[in-house]
Amino acid sequence: MLVMGEVHTGLLQNSGEISESTCRQVLAITAGETVRVSRRPIVHALSPERLTGVDCALPAASRSRVRGVGTVVSRCVVTGGRVAQGSSYVRVVRSEADRRLPWSHYLARPGVVEVLGKAKAADLAEGFTGDPAPGCLDLGAVSGRFLDLVQGSPLLDRLAPFKMSRTSLRWVAETGEPSIRFTLHSEQDRTLRLTHPGPFTPAVVDLCEDLATHDWLLTSLLVIVERARIGSTPGAQAAARLTPAIDHLLHLWMPAARVEEWLTPFWDSLERRPGFTRQWHSLVNRVRDQIATNTLALLSTSTEPGRR
Amino acid sequence: MLVFAISDKGGTGRSVTGTNIVYRHALQGNDVCYLDFDFGSPTAGAIFSVSGVSRGTRENGLHEYLRAECPQPRRVDVWAESDREGLRMRPPGAGRLVLLPGSEGGGELSALTDEIVGRCVQLFGRLDEEFDLCMVDVSAGRSFTAELVLAATVRMPTVPFRWLVFHRWTRQHIIAADGLVTGADGLLDVGTRFGHDADDLRDRIRFVRTAVLEPDASELVGLRDEQRAWLSACDSELRELAGRHGVGRTAMLGKIPLDPVLQWREQLITDEDVLASKIANAETAAAFDELAKKIVDDNAWEGL
Repeated sequence: MLVMGEVHTGLLQNSGEISESTCRQVLAITAGETVRVSRRPIVHALSPERLTGVDCALPAASRSRVRGVGTVVSRCVVTGGRVAQGSSYVRVVRSEADRRLPWSHYLARPGVVEVLGKAKAADLAEGFTGDPAPGCLDLGAVSGRFLDLVQGSPLLDRLAPFKMSRTSLRWVAETGEPSIRFTLHSEQDRTLRLTHPGPFTPAVVDLCEDLATHDWLLTSLLVIVERARIGSTPGAQAAARLTPAIDHLLHLWMPAARVEEWLTPFWDSLERRPGFTRQWHSLVNRVRDQIATNTLALLSTSTEPGRR
Repeated sequence: MLVFAISDKGGTGRSVTGTNIVYRHALQGNDVCYLDFDFGSPTAGAIFSVSGVSRGTRENGLHEYLRAECPQPRRVDVWAESDREGLRMRPPGAGRLVLLPGSEGGGELSALTDEIVGRCVQLFGRLDEEFDLCMVDVSAGRSFTAELVLAATVRMPTVPFRWLVFHRWTRQHIIAADGLVTGADGLLDVGTRFGHDADDLRDRIRFVRTAVLEPDASELVGLRDEQRAWLSACDSELRELAGRHGVGRTAMLGKIPLDPVLQWREQLITDEDVLASKIANAETAAAFDELAKKIVDDNAWEGL
């Protein structure tokens, strides 16, 4: 029917970025299972997946009662040793039975939630990306817990260079005529409606996580630039407030680096409108120009004759 | 950083001082949040003039969150939701100011379970990622709430935290404030039982005097000489008493002068109250401003 998921993204609670080997240890959340790491073009580490059993109402825009039983797949991600994520998703399918089956049935289908009774995909998609009623399947709570798992690791020193809110991206993917809609709601909440050709594969989850990472980077850089109050504070002060962005964020921008070929058109369309990379580059230039003008000002005061 | 605000007795001005410190800290450009852990009477919403939560919130309050009845506690953006015109606009350069209200009719915690401590650790951990300062208003006196935060902070050794003990400048309050820290079942006693190091915890505790009337204050001009002499004698007696009880100058982070506005109504003292309507004293606002700086100034917190 459809796939729904939620990604929570935040700044890894450590003073500096963590090395690849530390990533492996932080993400070893299941004994005996390996952490997958790719190094190019940016270090990207994925924890083993874990299942959470659910038997609860699914969010429906019509507020009709839809019961779903099955398992949620979750994992933690660390990108560039700096950005941490908790990510969960479920594939919603119609149940062939009209009652709950033994758990062995659901455990054999990881990441599948079977709907008992009637439900429309559009109703569920609207409900999940709209305003889910309390008490319904809450993937955000699961993802938040997985992000906590990373952030609470004893290997991290918790001396993060700046404070930043987590963002949440709630997404729904369906099969059909290709389309993508990315919406910003409050300061922290985003939704994504994706219709892709062909059947669902986990590559769609990679795409959503990649989007969430870059949306968080952009949001964070905007906040840092706003906090610097360029123009209303002395140049040196503004430059000092921009430094954390240079130290920790600017090198992390790698859009669509890990997105499979057949999904890249979706990234491309978001690049055209609203234009993630365009906004990013304009902000990066602004940061660098501020630093440059401040350096010039410092140089000219130190070389001015008669002044020391 | 987490800051726990506690007092031994009620009516010390713990909440009104705590909220004003948080407000000043936000004006200084920091992102701050205020957690109403005074579960018996969660009225911090009234001080921030958010009428919808003046007696706590009906849905998703902190109490419900700790009892695992809601996934996330409600957040109130004071700059957006306050009814006071002077607060409804975020001043340029100010940080976020967020209130996490308690649950209306929630009641004090009746027991401390491992699950509640776990929820509390989760909450503090997430807020610390996001806010420069999280002020937690713990109910007055010895309570499960105080035990809860002591138990939670042991489990998160890398998250910095500090305690502020509020007391008024009277004999009873000085003795009570000392008892709350060093007495049987006091903060140090309970803290070490949960696994805190006594000396380390001691260094994280400072006192704040509230509603202080200085013998040379301008309010006392109309008093008779006898009254003034008596007040002065009282003051020096209290200073001696405070010294003996470890509540003296070295352990004090700051003092808030007596202000008529705060006697009549618990509220945030804005610059408008001082400069435009002139209902509040400039000294009071300055005292809050200084405390808001000292609270994160490591020099003020060096070991005793």
